[in-house]
Amino acid sequence: MSLYRKIALFFAIMGPGIITANIDNDASGITTYSVAGARFGYGLLWTLIPTTVALVVIQEMIARMGVITGKGLSDLIRENYGIKAAFFMMLGLLVANFGNTVANLAGWAASMQILGLSKYVMVPVGAIAIWILVTRGSYRVIEKILLFACLLYFGYVISGIMAKPDWTPVFKSTLMPRMHWNSEYVMLSIAIIGTTITPWMQFYLQSSIAEKGITKEHYKVSRLDVVAGCFFTDIISFFIIVTCGTLLFPLGMRVHEASEAALALRPLAGDYAYLIFAMSLANASLLGAIIVPLATAYYICEAMGWEAGVNKTFQEAPQFMWIYTLTIVLASMVILIPGAPLVSLMVLSAVINGLLLPFVLVYALLLVNDKKLMGEYTNPKSYNYISWGTVIVIISLTAFMIVTNIIPSGKIIW
Amino acid sequence: MPFFGELFVSEILKKPVLDPKGEELGRVRDVVVVKGEPFPKVSALILEKKKKVFYLQWIDLTIFNKKILSSVIYSNHLQSYTFSETDLIIVRDIFDKQIVDANGARVVRVNDVKLEGYNSEAILVAIDVGMRGIMRRLGVERGGEDMMRLFRRNLPYNLISWNYIQPLEPKLTKLSLTVPRQMVAELHPADIADIISQVSHKEGATFFKGLDVETAAEALSELEPDVQAAIITGMDTEKAADIIEEMHPDEAADILSDLPVDKAKEILENIEKEEAEDIQELLSHEEDTAGGLMTNEFIAYPPETTVRNAIEQFRKDAEEVETVYYIYVVDNDEKLLGVVSLRELLLADLDAHLSDIMETKIKMVTPDVDEVEVAEIISKYNLVALPVVDSEGFFLGIVAVDDVIDRILPPAAKRKRRKL
Repeated sequence: MSLYRKIALFFAIMGPGIITANIDNDASGITTYSVAGARFGYGLLWTLIPTTVALVVIQEMIARMGVITGKGLSDLIRENYGIKAAFFMMLGLLVANFGNTVANLAGWAASMQILGLSKYVMVPVGAIAIWILVTRGSYRVIEKILLFACLLYFGYVISGIMAKPDWTPVFKSTLMPRMHWNSEYVMLSIAIIGTTITPWMQFYLQSSIAEKGITKEHYKVSRLDVVAGCFFTDIISFFIIVTCGTLLFPLGMRVHEASEAALALRPLAGDYAYLIFAMSLANASLLGAIIVPLATAYYICEAMGWEAGVNKTFQEAPQFMWIYTLTIVLASMVILIPGAPLVSLMVLSAVINGLLLPFVLVYALLLVNDKKLMGEYTNPKSYNYISWGTVIVIISLTAFMIVTNIIPSGKIIW
Repeated sequence: MPFFGELFVSEILKKPVLDPKGEELGRVRDVVVVKGEPFPKVSALILEKKKKVFYLQWIDLTIFNKKILSSVIYSNHLQSYTFSETDLIIVRDIFDKQIVDANGARVVRVNDVKLEGYNSEAILVAIDVGMRGIMRRLGVERGGEDMMRLFRRNLPYNLISWNYIQPLEPKLTKLSLTVPRQMVAELHPADIADIISQVSHKEGATFFKGLDVETAAEALSELEPDVQAAIITGMDTEKAADIIEEMHPDEAADILSDLPVDKAKEILENIEKEEAEDIQELLSHEEDTAGGLMTNEFIAYPPETTVRNAIEQFRKDAEEVETVYYIYVVDNDEKLLGVVSLRELLLADLDAHLSDIMETKIKMVTPDVDEVEVAEIISKYNLVALPVVDSEGFFLGIVAVDDVIDRILPPAAKRKRRKL
């Protein structure tokens, strides 16, 4: 195959991996990285390397399953483990993703507020715009908007460069792990993994690959797409930490939210860096708010066998339309009602995400090793050691996170 | 005669089966079914006791209902069983799988299976695809009923008769009846395409193979290019050639152009020569130009034809041709001279010649014109079809309005697979 054909093929098949990875950096992800950079400077940069490795290992298996079986993960769980497993998984996903939607709309509200726009106007405007775009817009328009939104993530790279960091210590701390046995430090490093590897993105990635209809012959190209996506998402994380680590950390400024970080950047890095940071947050939040409720409604309906589809009416696909609509409406209400328990909802969502993740990963590993489904494409033996190892580490870290989150001393939210 | 009435399979799962003395033989783990007339029937139960699996034949059962299951066999005569891929068993092979409801033209998921007594057999009469089935499987059917009663509603039964079911997995097609095949063929091709695009490629291909050539050809042209290519690549060349031959040449060319070159060649060799030449001619044009959109099926007569002869000839020709609303007038060299609309032809004096009534100021394009421009011309002059001629005026083909609409409005016209 000529180089030209290879490149053309890559562009035809790319998409699922890169889009999934981008949406992974949603409002809660950006918050975690901003907090990490402001609190520990470059101290947590090294965690991005093991995180990327774990992400690549898991996403590759998920993508392989999508290519070989041609089905989504929720379909496979329902078909192989029965209705109970699928039902409780979907119930958990519904609650966790409701929390994710709230987090994303909150990120949108915060970024609009620092741009001087009232959240009481912008949240309803954003929610209605998303709803109309998805239910009334054509697929072509939505795809273009999504791909354009993905480009906007480069805003974080620009703001990172505009922060003018001293690159020697940056790379040193990236490549040389140094552990601090400080509870806040440990919690933040776990939060970075937790916000990068989430249950819903496994469902999303596998479905979008299955639906793109990528064949076995093109699996290698698809794998490139997935791996590139994993690197891309962590490069964005890297620049967010660098930005906050360069500008906020030396002054000892603590932030608790991504929007606070944007505000704190203004006097230090100038109006442009601040604007880029705030706009990128708005973009990431809105992108997450488009995809998460939609994806949730799809997986639930597919697993349960209900009619699904964005251009169907409430009569044709009642469950689908109601799940999708209510997620957005209720999430907006939570943000707009003064005194709504926003923080405890986020903690709940984080805990449920953490509880779901082991099940999702274990089911995925069992399915990917099922000869009947995967034929010769099951994990090679050596690869299984790596993947089980990764999964066990992630599970024990999230278990630790859940325990500390439930015991009230934990202050970190992701 | 062990069974009267009806029950759902999930209601007997994990229930004990008793021997004549009332001792437990084991608990129901699965149900084996075989083909039967008129419906598939239960041939045996698979029991589980202390991690061991046993096989209990239907004829050995004495009582079979959702409260009591009993058998004439004692535990020391029970046959042991190992799961085999060739047996069809309900929980493993039917529960939770996707299946086509030919009546509603949609893909559904099996929540439960309903059995009914018929001539001392238990037959599979329907699958449950509703909320009730989900709740029954989760063990909360009663609770669901009570809750709905609070809202003064009944929990509806949502069953699909086995008559209307078309399985997607090759193994299960053994159980499908002959009736639904006809039902599927009666569906609108767009509905068939919709069903295929909702399931995985493998299952789509299985479903597709069950269609007759004519239905297959119509459904295929409604699908997305990548799905078309995947399905055709997965078929043996001869069957693929039969289907492609049945299609209109422009649609056939579109599909072949998306296939690997070798496969396309192989298929073309299996198609009737004349048809293959038409397709090959269309293949030489770029996809997004007038040449790529056009079809070389049209109706054209020489100028000296009388209206009477033209109408008579039209009645024969129009059967095979898709776009018939214009009658083109060409000379012996295949040069386009004029056009007569179907209305003008029918209203004209029967003895007039086509050259008398034809419109000579014709809008036409060369094959390299971009599809957007083609669409603009068709829209501006309100045409149903636009002729394509080469630089010397030779008539090559026509672009029909529906083919242009498919190109500029694909999501509405073509069955899209969902991509988020």
